[in-house]
Amino acid sequence: MAALASTQSRRVSAETLGIGIAIVAAYGVVPLAGSDYLLDAVLTPFLALALAAVGLNVLTGYAGQVSLGSAAFLAVGAYAAYNLHLRIPGLPLLVDLVLAGSIAAAVGIVFGLPSLRLRGFYLAVSTLAAQFFVQWALTKFGWFSNDNASGVIDAPPLSIAGVSFTNPVERYVFSLTVVVVLSLVTLRLLRSQSGRNFVAVRDHEIAAKVIGVPILRTKLLAFGISSFLIGVAGVLWAFAYLRTVEPAGFNLDRSFQILFIIIIGGLASLRGSFVGAAFIVVFPLLLSRVGAALLGSVFDSGVLEMSQRILIGVLIIAFLIAEPRGLIALWDRTWARTWAAVWPAKHPTIPT
Amino acid sequence: MLRLEEAPPDGPAHGQTRERGDANMRHGGHVPQPLARPVLGLANISLTFGGVAALRDVDLDVAQGEIRAVIGPNGAGKSSLLNVVSGQYRADRGEVRFGEHAFDEVPTSKLTAHGVARTFQNLALFKGLSVFDNVLMGLAHRVRIGFLRQIVGSPLARQIEAENRAAATEVIGFLHLDQVQDRIAGTLPYGVQKRVELARALVARPKLLLLDEPFAGVTLSEKQELSLHVRNARDSFGATIVLIEHDIGLVMGLSDRVAVLNYGRKIADGTPEEIRTDPAVIDAYLGVAHEDDTELAA
Repeated sequence: MAALASTQSRRVSAETLGIGIAIVAAYGVVPLAGSDYLLDAVLTPFLALALAAVGLNVLTGYAGQVSLGSAAFLAVGAYAAYNLHLRIPGLPLLVDLVLAGSIAAAVGIVFGLPSLRLRGFYLAVSTLAAQFFVQWALTKFGWFSNDNASGVIDAPPLSIAGVSFTNPVERYVFSLTVVVVLSLVTLRLLRSQSGRNFVAVRDHEIAAKVIGVPILRTKLLAFGISSFLIGVAGVLWAFAYLRTVEPAGFNLDRSFQILFIIIIGGLASLRGSFVGAAFIVVFPLLLSRVGAALLGSVFDSGVLEMSQRILIGVLIIAFLIAEPRGLIALWDRTWARTWAAVWPAKHPTIPT
Repeated sequence: MLRLEEAPPDGPAHGQTRERGDANMRHGGHVPQPLARPVLGLANISLTFGGVAALRDVDLDVAQGEIRAVIGPNGAGKSSLLNVVSGQYRADRGEVRFGEHAFDEVPTSKLTAHGVARTFQNLALFKGLSVFDNVLMGLAHRVRIGFLRQIVGSPLARQIEAENRAAATEVIGFLHLDQVQDRIAGTLPYGVQKRVELARALVARPKLLLLDEPFAGVTLSEKQELSLHVRNARDSFGATIVLIEHDIGLVMGLSDRVAVLNYGRKIADGTPEEIRTDPAVIDAYLGVAHEDDTELAA
């Protein structure tokens, strides 16, 4: 027992160490080393997408409820934050953020209701309703965009208690702080009984029901938490990254992009959400550099767009067949193999 | 969901307060006498699937502290019976009683409140959780606090988590699963997974434990070990056990009383000795040479 407890605590402390290093690196090294371009065009959108992926992973990876409506909840978060800021003068930014997330959560719970009857493919199709309805409503009703003709909103400047976050470094730090706090809270949730209930409902709903897991509450909680996180990610996307957004920016392609992040990064893994988001952001940039170097002027933006779609498609299929647990599983396996080669550990044996 | 009597919301389910039953009921080959109020009572249960009768007027009573087997050939209605008891199926007619609570449709989500736990014929583990977390899931119904308090780790949340972890650790030790408690359940051999499922059912200290073919698909040595665990579950945890089994030989040594189903009807009910010599049972299981058969053969 003592040996088991010590391996467990060793693993937990290794994990804490890993998270600590990542956070320190994200705060300390990157703002000093990074150029404005890197922060503005790579790291800030990476953070927003990573948070959205964390949100979708709670719902799809952990609780097993497939959703194609992520972009709708991004939009709800962004437009809710915009309207709250506009219509409630003096509303503190953090309160705005939490309220916008809560509104997204409420919308998510409403669109999550079909999950009580539908599952798998049918549920995925029903979440499309959220995708199309939200985009339609934001375009149709001028009130949401303060009567802008094309539904475009301009984000207000970010500031908390007189400290403003305007330049790329500040906006990055703001986004990073929000993402770190919410990811840690999500990690806590997933380690609690509610988090175990998510996986139980995903893996065997009938068994979960028999042992007294409240199925309805668990599914709706997953939809609520997921939509909250995606809603806040939408605020980051609109306020810290693009700063001018329109409903068309939150289309079905965006929903698929977030779904691809968690498939490529790793279902039911928070680290996978970050790895997948990094991949999705960096991949087109790498591809354009490599393509331009190899093919020169033939590799224009049209070809880039097309080859990017093809390669992502191939990768999705490859991952679904070869490694459904995504990049993070590849990483863990490589890591474990290296570790075992350096320091051969005793593997637990199975008693007969 | 039509309930004939309202069950108390918390019920008398929790292990610590439950009586352990009469000591001599739980030991040796002694056959417990049915009490006035059986732990589980089925009356006139009938169930049809699109005109095919799966169960026909089945009665069954299960006394405190006994191991009660329900056997029968394939398709006899054994699993259907268990699914009626745990509320996955709704009987067309008849009544299910847990102690003094009667139902015409058992509310599955309230099973734990009545102290009922079950395992499944084909494994129903949470494949993505560790063995420890699977066992911990057996106590999910005790965590009745909001997710925010779970995240923050309020004193009550921590206390419940600590109690549940202690209970899970105890059952894991009891079933010798310590060595694999951190492994992901889906990666373990079948026989070990069966034991994990038993642990998940036992951790809540159920009054009534329903086992659906616990020995199906495991090796002979695992069968013997599992049957020992089943007996221990009764002797040490005080659970009354209903056991569905296909393998007639195994249950004879394990059970106090045996009911036999064939084509959805109960054809015999009694001690293993009575069942072993019952002509109807022998007929159902082995077939007998009827007179007209012999004539035809001759």
